[in-house]
Amino acid sequence: MPGKQLSPWTLAWFGAAMLFLLLSLATAMSGAVGPGDWSRGAGFAAVHLFTLGWLCLMVMGALVQFVPVLTAQPLARPRLALPALLLGAAGTLALAAGFLWLDGHEAMRPFLRAAPVLLALSFGLTAAMIAPPLLARASRALSEVRMVLLALVALAALWISGTAMALQLGGVDRMPDILPEGLPLHVLIGIGGWLSLAAFGVSYKLFAMFLLAPEQTGPVRRAVFGAAWLALVAMLGAGAALLAGYPVGAWVFAALAVLLPIAAGFYLAEVARIWRLRRRPKPEGNMLWSRAALMFLALASILAGPGLWQGGVWAEAAIFVALAGWLSLLTLAQIIKITSFLTWIQIFAPRIGRSPVPQVQQLTDPRTDTLCLMLWSGGVAAATLSLLLSWPSVFRLSVAALFLAALAVAVELVRIRRLSHLDPSLRPASLPPVIRPVPVPVPQPEIRT
Amino acid sequence: MTLLDQIEDRLKGVLDPETGRNLIAMGMIYAIRIDGDRVEVDMSATTRGCPLAEMLRLGVETAVLGIEGVRAADVRLVWDPPWTPARMAPF
Repeated sequence: MPGKQLSPWTLAWFGAAMLFLLLSLATAMSGAVGPGDWSRGAGFAAVHLFTLGWLCLMVMGALVQFVPVLTAQPLARPRLALPALLLGAAGTLALAAGFLWLDGHEAMRPFLRAAPVLLALSFGLTAAMIAPPLLARASRALSEVRMVLLALVALAALWISGTAMALQLGGVDRMPDILPEGLPLHVLIGIGGWLSLAAFGVSYKLFAMFLLAPEQTGPVRRAVFGAAWLALVAMLGAGAALLAGYPVGAWVFAALAVLLPIAAGFYLAEVARIWRLRRRPKPEGNMLWSRAALMFLALASILAGPGLWQGGVWAEAAIFVALAGWLSLLTLAQIIKITSFLTWIQIFAPRIGRSPVPQVQQLTDPRTDTLCLMLWSGGVAAATLSLLLSWPSVFRLSVAALFLAALAVAVELVRIRRLSHLDPSLRPASLPPVIRPVPVPVPQPEIRT
Repeated sequence: MTLLDQIEDRLKGVLDPETGRNLIAMGMIYAIRIDGDRVEVDMSATTRGCPLAEMLRLGVETAVLGIEGVRAADVRLVWDPPWTPARMAPF
């Protein structure tokens, strides 16, 4: 059946994530966060609007869309996509509101107890959709699938650690006391576990597809998995010890300071191999800017060592580069491509073989995309420097640049959906809704009689 | 021009939207068999989970059925051997 590999709500996930990105950056611009200033309620709210609302929802939406591509099997229960998104968005808003209790807004405290429930339902529904195709016998052998499964284990650990802290802040007395020691572990599980490993897994497939490179597994890919697995075991072991009332030994962070950069290094070597073997002579903007995101991954890996050993500005810079440079730039670069691809499929796929159709890249404006992503990258670089040098005013200006870049990408996505960059002669008379795609029409072959 | 030439010519008008190259240049057309006015085509896509695969198959079917003298077309997606970039004609 045409379109069976497409989730009709993917663009709704992307749209919601973009709104959370803009909201988080607007909150940050208002002064909620800054160098050495991350632990106020508004700061925690801004950070979670970014990590949970923007990155986590985006990764979940991407998995809902791409697990069928990775596994060549349909989602198990595709109708759960919309409720999973709505619950995830509600959980994010509840958590952000709940953190405002730390700033003296007493009425917000119950939201800290509601948020974990909403998020558990969202994560559970998403797992119900993607776990069956991922766990199928034929899928489990694939390196990209194994990496995504590892990421899902990290997501469960992320929820457990986050819930323990949220409920502790929310005044639930029976929760184990894991603050503040649990916080760095929670950050590591989120960035080095869930978000990065999911990005590793999906990118193995997408990079090979976009670059027309052979899909291969091999010792380097196994080394990425091995280092990531060991790092996750260390994180889970430390988390379990903390929940049981034992302190986290310094050896855990020492081990992670070695294992996480090793995993990232092998991953970068694997992507470099894909790049070398590509048959596409001129990679498009999404891949050129993904390459910039990979450079930010390398920088985050370098900063992770001093960040884990010394904390302070090094940890702030490492976390910021990982979230805004590596994960967000990768996502922004690919969301432009994926939105144009899904729009093309929706509008032009039924015309294949019947009439001339444009290429996918004709739906985008490469110059605008380059300017947006260049502004984002410059903002990340400046913000990172301002964190290392503790310059609050430069940090705020840098975040303003990030906001402008994100806004420009959001406008560009709407223009792609409206086919604004396409020659008018190639545009259909009517266009599908910007957010909710209509089902892909089934072309009926003309039978000659 | 033989019927096979006409079919290949028509399939050169069916483009992969990502690269802008036709499916023959992409190496996605594995086999074309002609039996009177009936045509069978074996084709593939870049990956088994490709969301475009079935739509490309229908596009090929439509293109083949548009040729004078073809009354039936059976276009099948095959995954063995899997498509690899090595099947592509040089850029």
